[in-house]
Amino acid sequence: MFKLQRSLALSAVALLAAATVGSASAKDPETYKIGALLAMSGQASFYGTVMSAGIRQAVEEINAKGGVDGIKLEAIIEDHKSGNAQEAVSAMNRLITIHGVKMVMTSFSAPTQAVAPLADQHHILLLNGGGVSNSLVGISKYMFHNRSLAADLGLAAAAHLNSIGAKKLAVLHWKNDAGDSVVRAVRPYWEKAGGSVVAVEAVPQGVTNMDTQIAKIRAANPDAIGLWMFTPEVGLAVKRIRDFGMKQPVIGIEYTENDAKIAGAQGEGYLFINDYFAPSPDQPWSQQFATDYEKRTGSKPDFYAANYYEGVYMLAEILKRARAKGGDYMDAEVFKTVLYENPTFDSVYGGQMVIQPNGVAQKRVGLFQVEGGEKKFKSFVTAD
Amino acid sequence: MDLLAQLAVNGLVNGSHYALLALGFGLIFGTTRVVHFAYGPVYALSAYGCWLAAAVLGAPLWLAGLAGIATGAVAGVLAYLVVYRPFEKRGSSTLVVLIASLGLFIVLENAIGVVFGTDTKVVPSPPSGIFLWGPLVVTGVQLAQILALVVVAGAVGIYLTRTRMGKAVLAMTDSVEMARIVGIDTARVSVIAFALGSAIAAVPACLILVKDGATAHIGFLAVFMAFVSVVVGGVGSLRGAVLGGLALGLVESTGMIRIPTEWQSSVAFVVLFVVLLFRPRGLFGGR
Repeated sequence: MFKLQRSLALSAVALLAAATVGSASAKDPETYKIGALLAMSGQASFYGTVMSAGIRQAVEEINAKGGVDGIKLEAIIEDHKSGNAQEAVSAMNRLITIHGVKMVMTSFSAPTQAVAPLADQHHILLLNGGGVSNSLVGISKYMFHNRSLAADLGLAAAAHLNSIGAKKLAVLHWKNDAGDSVVRAVRPYWEKAGGSVVAVEAVPQGVTNMDTQIAKIRAANPDAIGLWMFTPEVGLAVKRIRDFGMKQPVIGIEYTENDAKIAGAQGEGYLFINDYFAPSPDQPWSQQFATDYEKRTGSKPDFYAANYYEGVYMLAEILKRARAKGGDYMDAEVFKTVLYENPTFDSVYGGQMVIQPNGVAQKRVGLFQVEGGEKKFKSFVTAD
Repeated sequence: MDLLAQLAVNGLVNGSHYALLALGFGLIFGTTRVVHFAYGPVYALSAYGCWLAAAVLGAPLWLAGLAGIATGAVAGVLAYLVVYRPFEKRGSSTLVVLIASLGLFIVLENAIGVVFGTDTKVVPSPPSGIFLWGPLVVTGVQLAQILALVVVAGAVGIYLTRTRMGKAVLAMTDSVEMARIVGIDTARVSVIAFALGSAIAAVPACLILVKDGATAHIGFLAVFMAFVSVVVGGVGSLRGAVLGGLALGLVESTGMIRIPTEWQSSVAFVVLFVVLLFRPRGLFGGR
């Protein structure tokens, strides 16, 4: 009996010691380096500007509160020059070999696809807050997304057009993976719902003149127009469609401050489906982020800034959980394990987001309309 | 038929834009033999000069346009005096000057982004006139683009044929060596060519700013289309450059009546390839 009690006591002490030693022996880096591959130069550098502002704001906030268990965060931002896959691979190699990062926030579909094999090889966690192509799903076992995919947003947009009785749809889209993925998803859905696609016109990313495409759409006389593209082309497309005297409903999957500026008064009435980021007093974190962001940058945050801001908080939470595991925890395999142990994270959109088994966050998606120059939330929308 | 007519109108508008770009680029190249790729960011800088005057200083659009033109002219002259002229003095090869030009392109483009930010610049309350002629639609700014070509090309034509300095520019276009032999101050004429060519580019730049807004990167397509127009029209021929630009705009737009628009950005390459293959001196170039 005494022997049993003694061995139980010893076991308990051993367990306690193991638990204590576990966290004490965690191999902590001096700082937690978070890499980011953003469009810091080139045609689409607007994205890099707002995304990096979101990242920096979150890093400074977390560090001001003492960091993650006393360890400060450090953001290392690299440039993929507006979607250049080769630049992204070079930048990723710098992040891995020079800076030794274990977490990288990516943007754009092509660069994110390009660095996925490196992430698998070096056990780097990737968090994509901007790339929207469906082809990003499943390309790396360590890739997660806190951005809704373009095809899902396009389907929700088509569902809305269907609900208002539109039958003839015209499409103006980016000729790249992001735009094509929406065309591929929406067309069968639309035709199955009894509609017809009367025009599908494409423009390259970064185009500055789309009058030919819009003339062809006008000639097709659609009931509604879908814009499967992103900033700043959205603003330009809306403006030129209205310049051409077309009054049909125009719906898209994005509308940033930059788009609003380009479209000007012609943006009035434009509809778009997007991740539901709308700061309001009933969402204190969201409101605080928006207020501080505007103070720092002089402009209102869009959902891209919000995604990368929120992404840093998500990574900080993962680091905290991984560190609690002890040992050599700076590894994507550990990060992935702790992420799925509890796939729910606070969202700056309000409430929480849940990372689904396919790595994509389930977030709120809303229908917005431009009214009086402001983006007004109309309703939550889902595809059938 | 309605669509073809609309595409032709669009093509004429785009062609007028390319023609002006080609006129400025061709004038600089024809006179100085400098392949001035930094013409692109100088074009962008002109748009920013116009934006600065209109949106920041609150100047009326016509005055902002003049500010844009002045910005372009000054930037063009500085590019020549600071970058190209030293190489010219050393007798550097065309390739060296070409590389310097590409370097200047990158430096200027990045500098614009750093100084002015990366967002799209727009002018407050741009003119919103729309004209409908049956099935055809044309905006006030598009009409201004066509009108700008007529006015600028006409004025440049008069300047080159009726003034002493204009004739000196034309003489250099024919032969720099001969111009020097007959006593023309080629360095001075080069400065005039850069000022005039860059000022010409500033006109479509300001119109694009008003029409669609401007970013630091609008210069790449501008210099590319100017280059293609000059080659298509015939290197050394200013009339050819203008006609080349117009032809390119029309083909690029009307060609899309049967071809899917995703091919539009390839049209300029195809035209360039065909012209270089079958008529290397350009459609309107000399023998």
